[in-house]
Amino acid sequence: MYSDNGTTPRGCPDANGLMPSCAPLAVPYVPFQQEGSQKYDQTEALANGTLFPGLNLPFHVKVKGGDLPRTASAELQALQFVIVELGLYLDTHQDDQEAFALFQKYAALAEEGKRRYEAMYGPLTQMAAAKDAAYQWLNDPWPWEYDQKGAGK
Amino acid sequence: MFIYEKKLQYPVKIKNTNPKLASVIISQYGGPDGELGASLRYLSQRYAMPYPELKGLLTDIGTEELGHLEMIGAIVHQLTRSLTDDQIRTAGFDTYFVDRTTGVYPTAASGFPYSAASMAVKGDVIADLSEDMAAEQKARVTYDNILRLSDDPDVNDVIRFLREREVVHFQRFGEAMRLAKDKLDQKNVYYINPAFDKP
Repeated sequence: MYSDNGTTPRGCPDANGLMPSCAPLAVPYVPFQQEGSQKYDQTEALANGTLFPGLNLPFHVKVKGGDLPRTASAELQALQFVIVELGLYLDTHQDDQEAFALFQKYAALAEEGKRRYEAMYGPLTQMAAAKDAAYQWLNDPWPWEYDQKGAGK
Repeated sequence: MFIYEKKLQYPVKIKNTNPKLASVIISQYGGPDGELGASLRYLSQRYAMPYPELKGLLTDIGTEELGHLEMIGAIVHQLTRSLTDDQIRTAGFDTYFVDRTTGVYPTAASGFPYSAASMAVKGDVIADLSEDMAAEQKARVTYDNILRLSDDPDVNDVIRFLREREVVHFQRFGEAMRLAKDKLDQKNVYYINPAFDKP
């Protein structure tokens, strides 16, 4: 189901984190996520809304879902989602070398994915519109529009 | 600055229109625990923050919330496209329709327009991060409640995703709180407000 990319030996099970001993009173504590936590691949990460199985805590009502289309758009969304998720993780774990290496790997994959996507469907940013022979920034559909035709997008 | 990317963070493809459901989900657009308030709260709180990891985290989560605002707007828009005359009379949606037609307006489901009174910027590290943790929990509960009210699998799939993001953000704000406290007086973290006092 998921690969354990962890290299750092961890002291607690994956869904548990680290707490300070003799923690001072009168301040809130959330356990720190440990380095080397298990991670989903990018498709499962997007489907679950998190890269980390240890943080995947769904509600009891209508748990099922996350059947993502196998499309160029969903592939790019998955790659960029991992970058967002790892970015937030790195904001609070800036010394985690393994996570940073993964962040770099996904950033390279997403650059490639973006090129493929733009070649097929047009510019993702207004600046990218300059690379085409004509101005295609305005082409429908826009992201919020229901697009049955483009369901394969 | 911000640069727009012409895509959603997560696919929104709602096959069936449902104005009644739209009139509930709009609360996550402009309601008290909605994505607009979340984004404004974090992007506004960051100016007073003294530590780089707090400036970064508030910027990055505040930016992600803008993407979520767009997803909620997409859900509301798709649930209310090409409505019939019968559908605009749907109880619960008719009161929205008379004022906004099918435009997407930042309002709570109760009809109360978006109010910055539903969020806070206190200019104090521990107070603001505590507010952020509470805000993520309140948004999570709103998504729980939407899942209770909605029978549309296309909608629920997106709501599940957004709900899980609240859980992850809560974890990160909790960690940010720890990082901030480590920099404070270990005998009394309330001795100064590092967002204002010089240590």
